[in-house]
Amino acid sequence: MILLDTQLLTLFTAGALIVIGIFAAIYIDNIIKKIVGLSFIEEGVNLFIISLGYKSGGVIPILLPGMNIKWFANNSAYPLPQALVLTSIVIGASTLAVMLALSMVLYKKHGSLSASKILNHESDMGDEL
Amino acid sequence: MNISIPLIVIIPLIAALFLNLFAGKNKIIKVLAFIVGLGLPILTLTTSYGLHYFGGHQPLALSNIANLSTYITNSSLYNLHPAITYAYTPIAKVFIFALGIVVFLSIFSYLNSENKASGPFLFMVFMATASVSALLLSDDLFNMYVFFEIAALIQTGIIIASSAKDNYETALKYMILSSIGGPILLLGITILLAICGSVNITDISLAISNLVHTPEASGVVLFAFSLIFFGWLYASGLPPFNVIKSLVYSKAEPYGSSVLQAMSLISLIAFIIAMFRIFGTLDIFKGVMIFISIASMILGVSMAAMQTDFRRMIAYLSVGELGFVGLGFGIGGNFAITAGLFQGLNEMIVTTLLFIGLGTVVYLTNTSDTRKLGGLIGKNTFMAIMILLGGLAMAGVPPFNGFRSKLMIVEAALNTGFPEIAVIIILISIATFFVFVKAFHSIFLKPQPRDLTFIRDSIPKSILFTVLVLLIICLILGLYPELVTNPISQSIGGLL
Repeated sequence: MILLDTQLLTLFTAGALIVIGIFAAIYIDNIIKKIVGLSFIEEGVNLFIISLGYKSGGVIPILLPGMNIKWFANNSAYPLPQALVLTSIVIGASTLAVMLALSMVLYKKHGSLSASKILNHESDMGDEL
Repeated sequence: MNISIPLIVIIPLIAALFLNLFAGKNKIIKVLAFIVGLGLPILTLTTSYGLHYFGGHQPLALSNIANLSTYITNSSLYNLHPAITYAYTPIAKVFIFALGIVVFLSIFSYLNSENKASGPFLFMVFMATASVSALLLSDDLFNMYVFFEIAALIQTGIIIASSAKDNYETALKYMILSSIGGPILLLGITILLAICGSVNITDISLAISNLVHTPEASGVVLFAFSLIFFGWLYASGLPPFNVIKSLVYSKAEPYGSSVLQAMSLISLIAFIIAMFRIFGTLDIFKGVMIFISIASMILGVSMAAMQTDFRRMIAYLSVGELGFVGLGFGIGGNFAITAGLFQGLNEMIVTTLLFIGLGTVVYLTNTSDTRKLGGLIGKNTFMAIMILLGGLAMAGVPPFNGFRSKLMIVEAALNTGFPEIAVIIILISIATFFVFVKAFHSIFLKPQPRDLTFIRDSIPKSILFTVLVLLIICLILGLYPELVTNPISQSIGGLL
């Protein structure tokens, strides 16, 4: 029962991270904080994936010598979410790196990290290509 | 198993890495890019249809293993796809071949009009080719998500590589939206994983077809659909992402814009086919598709009409035209879906023609503001005529390809009892015609402003050749649409 609650708690935490992340991405003006908020969304989804593979009282999904196959099949955690989340973390890190690099360039250009100043200043375009 | 299927993804990936490695060695990267660019469409044509199971791990049902216990053969495990599967279907062949043509012609124009080729730019073009080809080939939702994210990073890279004003700001905006769209798509995929225990589309669609109408699961399936649908809107640039997508197109160099729009179109097609296979039986599927498609078409053409920058105008028209593909799936049935996909293919070719063709105006004058342009027909009449014909093809004027596909969608709408949709399609086509003709007049026909200065005197012959080839393709597809509609229809028949 306690373990089941652990899984529920993980799911709630994942949900909270996603909601906080979306709030930060929409309402916070500072670009770095906005990017941190976007990372929250990413990590919330990762936590959600991990919690899916959780099995109450389960064992790691590696078949060791001497293990009964039927017992292993019934008690091992589901390995697919763990494999997926590793890839997702790598993608998240790459995206984060690109966003931070762009923020650095834009900070040097505008002397500010305010999203409303940097992202909304765009001119009429068409000229000065 | 067909070994050459993964090569369609692996070859551009390796080429991209080598192009980056040899950045700075102009001759080597020019030769390498040309050879690989030419080789990709040939590889696509010579590869035969089939399936490829990565690692050779095919479903147990196909493995011919003797004496399996009934405990396994009676369970869903028996048909489960244990590894990533690539399916090379007629639809994949048609679209990857067309992508190969677009990429080759874009590279050809780029290499011939720039003295020094950029290794990183060519790296991104080939990475883009690999990622969207994988999107179409993959039968695995998570694999699609991975390539969706790679495609988003590549699109950002192509914007950064351009010399347009405010390109970094646009790149960051796009990345921020990508960081919302990507995880939401992943969340939808994860929910399907939780329901079905697999991320393989075939496995999921089999499991979901039994669950959609059960009261316990229908809400969760609907929630997963809404999340994946949101990710699809972002990937393809349909509303509310049409503004950022058109901004992205207009910020890249013409060769980059043509690749970017092809990426969006193939992402749209890959995800809409996956959604159709998984959620096609949902009651709301068709209604939602029709609604978003019509919204996209109306917003696209009305926003294009307001632009004074012709690159943004083409970008908005291009994003609006994507709605026709969704409309085909919304109307439903083999004929309508084939018509929608045919229109998607035509749009990819025509938009490439317009981006590269009108890119010559920027090449000559360094401006894309229609208020500052005029009288350019005297500069190169042949190019102006080809651009005009390209615009007519986009608007759906006979005998070009756009006419055939739009006519097919109108027929499909009338045959299935949606005359109002047929009327909307015709009105949108007329509006597209007027928007394009107005822009054409401003750029080529009105008197040349006195303060208009030229930074170059002539257009490279390679660009003229590229635009001519694209125009010939438009004409061939208009006269012989069955060249592509037959294979597309064959694939759709297998899905229905």
